[in-house]
Amino acid sequence: MASLIEVEGVSQIFETREGQANWALWQVSLEIEAGEFVCLIGPSGCGKTTLLHLIAGFMKPSEGRVRFAGAPVGEPGPDRGVVFQEYALFGWMTARQNVEFGLRMRGMGRAERRERAREALARVGLERALDRYPHELSGGMRQRVAVARALVNEPRVLLMDEPFAAVDAITRTTLQDDLVRLWQQTGVSVVFVTHNVDEAAFLAQRVVVMRPHPGSVKRSMTIDLPYPRQRSSAEFAGLYADIGAALGE
Amino acid sequence: MEANRLATESAHRLELEAAFLHAQQRRRRWLFLMRLTLNLCGVALFLLLWESVPWLFPTINKVLFPTPSVVFSAFWPMLLSGEIVLNIGVSVRRAATGFVLAAFVGIAAGVFTARSRVADYLTEPLLHGFRSVPVIALVPLSVLWFGIGEGAKIALVATGAFFPIWIATFIGVRDVNLVYLRSAACLGAGKLATMFLVVLPAALPLILAGLRQAMAISLIVLVAAELSGATSGVAYMMSMGHQLFRVDIMFIGLMLLGTLGFVFDRLFVWLTRRLFPWYVN
Repeated sequence: MASLIEVEGVSQIFETREGQANWALWQVSLEIEAGEFVCLIGPSGCGKTTLLHLIAGFMKPSEGRVRFAGAPVGEPGPDRGVVFQEYALFGWMTARQNVEFGLRMRGMGRAERRERAREALARVGLERALDRYPHELSGGMRQRVAVARALVNEPRVLLMDEPFAAVDAITRTTLQDDLVRLWQQTGVSVVFVTHNVDEAAFLAQRVVVMRPHPGSVKRSMTIDLPYPRQRSSAEFAGLYADIGAALGE
Repeated sequence: MEANRLATESAHRLELEAAFLHAQQRRRRWLFLMRLTLNLCGVALFLLLWESVPWLFPTINKVLFPTPSVVFSAFWPMLLSGEIVLNIGVSVRRAATGFVLAAFVGIAAGVFTARSRVADYLTEPLLHGFRSVPVIALVPLSVLWFGIGEGAKIALVATGAFFPIWIATFIGVRDVNLVYLRSAACLGAGKLATMFLVVLPAALPLILAGLRQAMAISLIVLVAAELSGATSGVAYMMSMGHQLFRVDIMFIGLMLLGTLGFVFDRLFVWLTRRLFPWYVN
């Protein structure tokens, strides 16, 4: 059977401010299985966000093919939930209304989508923040709402673009714990972009290390450490060192 | 023993909380009262100063510079006769009709030019060219073409109010955060849903700023239109005062215009807070 996401020889060209052509990605190939948790890691300019946007359907590759569930990626859709770095929640809607948005677009009835949104928010521990506006929530709570907003549509894959980069370190570890739990409960695939070695080592079944100029895949490392991972363990320390070394090569 | 200590401690805590909240409430009430009092004091002080100008400068011409008491004694019979209310009603209706018209057309034009590149490039020089012409300069032409009827005045107000609304909506819609659009797309929103549920709310802060500016402009254009030919309205009343050499009536008009502008601005802010609770500026 084909993989859930197939990226074949994909290149992406951009124009820089100076009017030069710049390859954000150069002949990248990658396969991601259903239910897999993959972290894309690399320095800025390595094209990891571009790769995520190509899978989401925000842009078309200049060259090569991106396939999702056996078909070429077209427009963005609820089968590929996206969680952005920040400021992506609709500020004019409450937490519940934000989560309901996708269901509403599907034409689901009011009562049912209210109940589904409540459940989705309860799953990320935000039952009590239902009727609060994003500006009344902390950074960590906002990202929980963003995860609930994507997951409520039951996507096949969750595309996450440095979602925890803007929250404080203590909140970040709780969010990471919760993400692993949600991933295990729902069986959704996760493609998670980060530039944080610790985060990749804690979360991923597979870490794809990328390099810039032009953006390309340097190494793909499978991690078979069981969950939940202990940051204090010797294995974790070794893993951290391995990913760090792969980045620095 | 231990249970006892805990009970005392929690009682003490509740006591402190109640006292604290009570103090906070009292403080807020006091601030509110102080603000109100000082607001009124400011107005009173201003009136007192104004009233005392002829005392301080005895050479001043009292007909050309009426004191508040003179203005008020002219104002009271005009209010009782219904003249004031009638003129205010006429002026407010003209300004409001023109403003509402401009709001609809301006927002529609702003959205359209921001979303369609062809429409934008096609209308760019025209809109920016016309925008630069002060609408007051169109008043004489409007009188020649359309006379001094209601339609002509409303059209002038609408023209003046249109441009700030259009430009603010254009910028607001054009610069909607890409992340909002992408979020809407990956949640399955179509074009129409994206426009009404995402783009317009996201552009709202700018649209509101444009509307507020347009309100101030409406009043200016209204006065210009009424001064140059009308049979009713606050500014018409002032121009009659001018012709009859009744400076006190002109002062009544000035104060009415100031009050109108102030009241409508406050009303606008209040309505914004009521309608858009999520919008914190």
